Formats: sequence, structure tokens, C-alpha cells
Amino acid sequence: MNLATQGFLGEYFLGMTMAQATLVENVAMGWGHVLSQQLITGVSNGMIIALIAIGYTMVYGIIELINFAHGDLCTLGSFLALTLVGALGMEAWAGLGGTAAVVTLLISAALFCAVLNWSIDRVAYRPLRGKPKLALLVSAIGCSFILINIALFWGGLPMEVFGGGKAAAAPKDFPSLISNENLLGAHSAITVTWRDLFVVMVTIPLMIGLTWLVKSTRLGKAMRAVAQNPTAAALMGIDVNRVIGSTFLIGGALGGFASVIYALYNNTISFQMGYRTGMDAFTAAVLGGIGSLPGAVVGGIVIGLVRALSDGYIEARWTNSVVFAILILTLVFRPSGILGAKLREKV
Amino acid sequence: MLKNLTAVCVLAVSSATLFSAIAWAQETPGETKKLKIISSLPLTGSANAQTTSVINGIRMAIDEVNGKVGDYTIEYEALDDASPQRGNWDPAVEAQNANKASRDLSVVGYIGTYNSGASKISMPILNKAGLVMISPGNTYPGLTKPGTGEANEPKIYRPTGKINYFRVVPTDDLQGVVAAEWAQSMGVQKVFILDDRELYGKGIADVFEKRSKELGIQVLGREGVDPKATNFKALATKIKAVTPDLVYYGGTTQTNAGQIAKDLRTANATPSFMVPDGCFENAFIEAAGDANVNGSAYITFGGLPADQLTGRGAEFRDLYTKKYGQEPEAYAAYGYEACKVLLEAMARAKTKDRAGILQAVAETRDFEGVLGKWSFDANGDTTNKVMSGNTVENGKFKFVKVLGK
Amino acid sequence: MSATPVWKKFMRIDVALLILACLLALVNRRLGLEMVDPMRGVMVFAILALGLNIVTGFTGLLHLGMAAFMAIGAYAFAISSCDIYPFQLGFWWGILFTAIVGAFAGVLLGAPTLGLRGDYLAIVTLGFGEITQDVLKNMDVITKGTQGINPLPAPYVPWWSDGGLIIFEFASDQELPWYWLFLGFVVVAVVVCRNLERSRTGRSWLAVREDQLAAQCMGMAPVPVKMIAFATGAALAAVAGGLWASMYSSTGEPGNYDFQISILALCIVIVGGMGSINGVLVGSIAMIGIANIALPKIAGAMQNAGWIVSGSVFGSPNNWKYLVFGLVLVLMMRFRPDGLLPAKLSLVSAKKKNQVESTP
Repeated sequence: MNLATQGFLGEYFLGMTMAQATLVENVAMGWGHVLSQQLITGVSNGMIIALIAIGYTMVYGIIELINFAHGDLCTLGSFLALTLVGALGMEAWAGLGGTAAVVTLLISAALFCAVLNWSIDRVAYRPLRGKPKLALLVSAIGCSFILINIALFWGGLPMEVFGGGKAAAAPKDFPSLISNENLLGAHSAITVTWRDLFVVMVTIPLMIGLTWLVKSTRLGKAMRAVAQNPTAAALMGIDVNRVIGSTFLIGGALGGFASVIYALYNNTISFQMGYRTGMDAFTAAVLGGIGSLPGAVVGGIVIGLVRALSDGYIEARWTNSVVFAILILTLVFRPSGILGAKLREKV
Repeated sequence: MLKNLTAVCVLAVSSATLFSAIAWAQETPGETKKLKIISSLPLTGSANAQTTSVINGIRMAIDEVNGKVGDYTIEYEALDDASPQRGNWDPAVEAQNANKASRDLSVVGYIGTYNSGASKISMPILNKAGLVMISPGNTYPGLTKPGTGEANEPKIYRPTGKINYFRVVPTDDLQGVVAAEWAQSMGVQKVFILDDRELYGKGIADVFEKRSKELGIQVLGREGVDPKATNFKALATKIKAVTPDLVYYGGTTQTNAGQIAKDLRTANATPSFMVPDGCFENAFIEAAGDANVNGSAYITFGGLPADQLTGRGAEFRDLYTKKYGQEPEAYAAYGYEACKVLLEAMARAKTKDRAGILQAVAETRDFEGVLGKWSFDANGDTTNKVMSGNTVENGKFKFVKVLGK
Repeated sequence: MSATPVWKKFMRIDVALLILACLLALVNRRLGLEMVDPMRGVMVFAILALGLNIVTGFTGLLHLGMAAFMAIGAYAFAISSCDIYPFQLGFWWGILFTAIVGAFAGVLLGAPTLGLRGDYLAIVTLGFGEITQDVLKNMDVITKGTQGINPLPAPYVPWWSDGGLIIFEFASDQELPWYWLFLGFVVVAVVVCRNLERSRTGRSWLAVREDQLAAQCMGMAPVPVKMIAFATGAALAAVAGGLWASMYSSTGEPGNYDFQISILALCIVIVGGMGSINGVLVGSIAMIGIANIALPKIAGAMQNAGWIVSGSVFGSPNNWKYLVFGLVLVLMMRFRPDGLLPAKLSLVSAKKKNQVESTP
């Protein structure tokens, strides 16, 4: 080997290592940023899942129903929000008006979903109390189909926000009422936007409020009593149907909040979106320990994080499997979920 | 036991009533001067917007000949190959539609399907019935072209050995190639490829990937996504970190292309976004939001967009807009063309038997339709290879250039 | 128990259904019913639901992942019999193999999870369904991904024709041979289920369903009992999947075996009547019949009557399908919460049973 070749090879290898070094450096620099970014995304997504999961877990806790219609209820909440945005021209509301718009949406969707959820219980579930548990499940599946169809028709309304209603089935863009500006400055490697903050700022007070309601109010006490033993609760003078109705009201309201947050965060709604949101939320509820409110929140955030990390570091096509594999493993080793109460045998 | 007996009687009586009722409802086949065209497209679920437009196109073609070819009256029935419990095309329903069509001897043409996967089910059935099938939307190449799909394709779809399946759209093996070439001509050097893991999306992404590598474009990553995910923010972060010039998504509006475009923007990732013709519908822009795709999304399409159609195409567009009060979606012209070709062949064949009509369709040469002048080749594919590259401007598709000529 | 006259023994709903099914085959063409073809789908779902009925109906385990076993069945059948793989077992051996693989998969899922109580098990089965779909989609080296595996062999039977014994292979366009074959499979499945129900195993399933604790106190080990139920159910579901794939000569996309299918199977069992074999049969006719026979017929009739306003979402009858399907489910449960044909055999009185079920 002559010198020239050596020199050439030396240069070549030197070049290689330098390129590699830059790469490593870039990766090391970028790694932390990307990871933090994924964690932020995961928590935001997880919070939304958690809000919906609470609706599942409350209903399950009290009447042992996997309320399949809950995800689709949220779909309708989003459609209501989009209708309001279109009808009131909210895209043009600037400054404080923007905040007012978001508050209006949150409140109206919450009211709407609460009343709708209560009505569903009144019409489809209440007549089935004391009947086989699985009849209730099928009724819920039926309601889910009906809600999907209503959402399809809703998307066909001849309004500008619905594309004039010509393509009822198409996914709808939800206008960005909340800015997507990076709060850490436009050139920061990590992006935290008002949207991420918004999700956290709305969700956490709601969860605190709910905990207070369940722990400290008369209604909350009654709810826990009914969940423990409906017959005994009735004997103690609790109007069981009213308590169950209130549970649906509260679960529905949270679903309504979640639907608006979902719409503002993801900016797309479609008549079939309830399937996945519902599935995620239900999984979260079980993962956390079904029937447990903090469990639903923890479960939601765990699922949000797992999804983000799996999308980021494994492969998006395996994400669903990863989530469910973790779920199965958790249940195998901790059969009542992360925060679920130990099951007692009742004899 | 008594209750049981009653149940049996009730059951028997009710089914007997049902049967006779259905039998009554069924029209008696007396008139032989009636021929029927059937279309099988997914009408329940998310593809509905596009398929409704295709059906409008078919109806228009039939209305144009006043529902008559020669002495025969043409009836048209739009079947749904989706089912409510699936919300998407359902293999059972598609097979049912194909069987129904092959058994009803007055049916002389089957326009469908929209999804290539569905055609895999119905092609062999219709092939045995010798019924001509023209698809306005299937672009999976393996259905017609030997050597492009699995080793046994397309032989398995033609149990009789004869060709009865035709399509009026160019296939993905052409579209994926021109898409990659277009990307290169725009100066793209690094690309990140996604697909929705479905027959169509994955197929076209594979072609795109292969051609990109041949052209020397660096492929930074290739991933299948879960199209039902609520958002793709985490994926967008990952893509942003490797800074590609272009993200190619082999998928459709129904598999959430709009959301992906949107989340790339939301993550402040700057690559352009390229999608195939499954996204060439207004619903894509609607779903993504104008601001997220204006000037940054590129859509390839196996034909010319409606506003670029000249001559007959332009006439079609104007008539359609007048008749239905909205601009036609991209595939409306294909529905129209498929039906038009069939009607024209029927007129030439001057017969009501399927073999004659099949032959006439196969012999279609230099057909002057809304898509230009084209013929069916020996595989049943259109010779039309004009494709277009489009972008989005002010919330509307804008034609950029002709591709693949 | 008083002796029942012999003729009354034949007045049974399953026999009545069998007779009706035979009649249907005979009059289908003459009356132009076009029902034989969709009935094949009904029968596949009947087998699937019979499998689920063992798990959910007899043993009381809520199962939300039946579609996974159907998918495993379809793919096992395809891999064992398609000519692009080296095994090429043919239809009958393929189906047998499918049943075995199905049972094995059931044990595999059941072994670690059957200790779970109530709806925790349900969510595990749901998760299993999702994972199975993803694996089938992503392992495209073996499963061909979303291409699906095809062509698959058609069933064959020895047949007496032109004075000689031939091997008669079913063609995909001959609907009647398929219909009879599937009917045969349903009959076999029903007989198997009936015998199991009355066997020692079957009684232990019911015991576990009614009161697991009491059963345990009587010296019964619940997990193996549940395991047998799981495996049997999975085997039936796998056979349903194999038949399904054979009928279309393709496994289709893995996405065809999604959560919706599991839900549909569950609806069939509950609408029909939990734990009632006759109920499952009636349930599958009702559910699949509504979705795949009645709704398309209504849509077709409306089209022929010209009741279609294009350009409006309300104008097309297809857009109403979800609503009708959902309403039917809600109304059926509202008025027949125990199902259309509730199971008669119950070890505990109905009142007591509800109490048992309502305790968490």
C-alpha cells in the first residue's frame, strides 16, 4: 500500500468519522428534544382520553355497563361545537372574543352531551334495569349505531363549515380557534402551544371538581352508595334512578368538554371518530382500574404516553398492538388495573 | 312444550308470509326488452362522498341516451357493497352483489368496484358469469397486469381464462412512478414515506419507494400508520426530527390523509406533502383545512382534473354542475366514462347477450370520451396514461402539469 | 318429568329451522328470493356465534375478540391449503387443521388470562383482537399483509354421477352445493353444542356461570373448565373463519376481521338469547338477515320506486342503515331483554340469577 492510498483512505475514514460524529452529536442534541416533545404530545393526548375515560368508568362503576355509546356521544358534542362555530362565525372572534368562543363551545357542548346522555339512559338503559347485564350492553351498541348515523346526517347540514353539506361522510376540518404558536419562541426545538396548555388547563380543574363532587357532596355519597349496592342504597332512601341519571349527566358533561377539547386539539372531526376515541378511553378506564376515577386519569395518560412513544420510537403500525399488549400484561400481573381496588369475593 | 309449539307455528307462519310477501314484491320477469346495469360501490360509510359522485356520473350517462340502447330499455341499480356493521366495503356484501348480478340474466354490465380489495372478491364470480365488469376506481395493478402483484395474479381472478374486467383508470404502478419522478423534478432529495397499510395505499407507496431509490432520492424512513388514530402528532415529531423535503403518504382521505397533513403543519414540520389520487377529492382539503395544504400539498391523479378537461370533458363538467348543483368529484368522470363505454359497446353489439357485449367492450378502440381518446389494451387496462400533478391553492385543487407523457 | 309423546319430540325450533332452510333452498330460485347466497353468510355467523355462545352463553365470560379467532381460522386454513405454501392439505384436512389451530390459540390466550374476573377478561379479549389484526397486517412475509391469501381450495365431496363415483369440487358460482355444505356444518355444530351442553363439561360451564364460588367449593377447578370453553369456542370460530375464507377463495384483508365482527357475534348471541342454541340460530338469522338481506332489499326497493334525492345526505336509503340497525338492537332489547328465545335450562331461578349478576 503506498502513501497516496494511505492518505486517501485516511482522509476517507477521517471524513467518515467526522460525519458520524456530527450525526451522533445531532442525534444526542435532538434526542432530548424529540423525547420531550413526544412526552408533551403524549400527555396532551392522554388528558383527552382521560376525560372520556371518566365517562366510561363512572357509568361502569354504577351500573356495570360498558357504555359503547359514550365515544359516539362525544362525536355529537364535536359536531355541535362545529355547528356553533359556523353559525356564530366564531372564527372571526378575535382577542378576548376567542376566549369567549372557546368558553361558549365548552359550556354548550357539555350541556348538550349531558342532556343527551341522560336521555339515552332514560330511554334505552333505564327500562333494562334488573334485566340481564348484557342486554344493556347490546342496547348501548344499538345507541352507538344510532348516534353514528345522526352524526352522518349532521355532517350533511347545508352549512359552510360542513362543506355545504355535500360530502356528509367526509372528515370535517375544525377551525383553529386556539393559536398554534410556539410559546417557547418560534425557533425553540421544543414546541409547546396554547393548545397543549389549554388541554391541561381545562382538564385538571375538571378532574379536581369531579373528585370533590364524588368525595364530598351528598350526590357523590349517594353515587358511591349505589355503586356499592343498589338495593341497600334504595333501602336507605336513595332514589337510585335519580342517582344513576345524575351519573349519566356528569359523565356526559365531561364527554362534552372532552369533545370540544378533542376538536380544538386535533382540528378534525368525523362521524366515525367515536370508535377510536371510545376504544382508547375504555381501554384507559380498564387499565387504570375500572370504576376508579383517578385510575381513569392515570390510565388515560399512560395510554397517551405509550401511543406517543411507540409512534416515535417503535413504529406507528405497531402502536395499537403495543398499547394492547401493555394492557394485557398489566392485567395479567395486576388483575384489577393500576389503581383498581382489590376485588373482594362477595358471597 | 305448548309454548314451544306455538313458537314453531308462529315461526312457520311468519316465514311463510315473509316469503310470499317477498315473492310478491319481486317483479315478474316478463318484459325481455329490459336490460340492467348494476353498480357496486361503498355507499355506507366514509367513502360516500366520492361514490355518490360516481353514481351521479353513471346516471348522467344513462340519462343522456334517455335510458335506451337500440330497442332495449336500460335500468340501473346502485348496489351498496358496504354494510352498516362494517362501515366500509364488506366482502360478504360484495360477493352477494356479484352473485346477484351474475344470476339475474337481464344484467349486462357491472360497474365497480371502488376498492381494489373488493374486486378481488367479485372478479372471479363475475368472470364465471361472463359478465363485463368495468371499474371506475381500482388502481391496484395486480388485478390486470401479470408480474405486478403476486405470482398467481391476475390468473386467479380469471378462472375461465377470459378477460371480463376492465378499468378506465391508469394503475398505481404508473402513478407511483410518475409521482416519484415529479418529486425529483421539484428538487426533492430526502423523502419520508408513509402508507395506510391497505391494498391501495401500501401498493402505491411501494412503487413510489422503489422508483425514488432508483432516482437517487434518499428515503429517510418508511412506515405504516394506523389510519384510525385520532392524531399523528407523535409521528410528525419523529418525521420533523429527520428533516425530509417531502412526506409521501400512500393513502386516501378515508384513511386520514387530511389529519396527517394537518399534524405535520401543527408540529411546525416544513416538508411538502404528496398523496396519490385517493385524496383527489374536495373532502381531502376540507379535512386537512385550507391553510395546512395550500401550496404545500401535491396530489397525483390518474387523469386530468375536471377543470382541465377539454372538449367532451368540459361539456361533462358543465352538465354535471348544472344537473347536480355542485362540481363533480374527481371520480365522477370515471363513473360516467365507465358507463358510457358500456353503453356504446352495447349499441355496437346490438345484442342482449353477455358474451356479445363483453366482446364489444373488449374491442373498444379509440374511444372518444371525457378522458380523451383511449382504448382497452389486452389486459383490460385503459391505454390512457395521461396523469396530472395537482396542488392546492386557496382551498381548491390547482392543476400543475401533465405527468407521465 | 312426564313422558312426552314421540311426535312432540320433533316439534323443536332447530328442526323447524332446518326444515325451513331446506325449503328455502328448494323455492329460492322459483320465487326469485335471492336468499340462498346471503344465507351462507348467516350460516357462517351462526357457527361463529355458536362458538361465542359456549364462552359467553354457557360459561358466562364476556368475550369481545371472537373476530380474532375467526381471522386465525381463515389464515390457518389459507396457509395450510393455499398452493403458494408447501402444505396444501386440501379443504377437509385444512378445516380440521383450522379447528385445531383455533383451539390451540384459544388455550394460548386463555392460559394466562382466565384467572381474570368479569369484564377485565372482556378487555383482554378485545385487545387480543386488535393485536391479531395488526400482526396479520404487519407480518406480510407470511400473511401477505393486506393482499390477503388466495386462491383457496373449494370443498370437494365424492359424488355419484353418470353411474360412477367422482370427486365433485364446488365452484364458487354454484350457490346450492355451498348452501347444503354450510347447512351441514351448522347442523354438526349444533349437535356438538347440544351434546356438550348436556355433558359433564357443559354442566360445569353452567356451574361456573351461575356461581363460580359455589362451584369451587364443590371441588371444581374453574380455570380448566373455562379453558375448555375458550378452546371449544375458539375452534368453532376458527372453523367459521375457514369456511368464510373458502367461500370467497381468499382470506381478504385482515381488516375484515375487526372489532365490529366481534360485536356482531355478541349481538347475535344476546339478541337470540344467551346460552340458548336455538336462540343463537334465530339471532343470526335476525341480525345478519337485517343487515345483509333486509336493508339492501329495502334500499333496492326504494331505488326502484325512485325515492332518491341525489345531492342530499337524507336522500339515499343507504345512509339510513346505521340508524335502522341501531334502532332494531335497542328495540329488541327493550322488549325482549332476555333475547328472542331465552335459554330454559337454568340451575338457579331467574330472580336469584339477576341478583348474582348484579353483584360486582
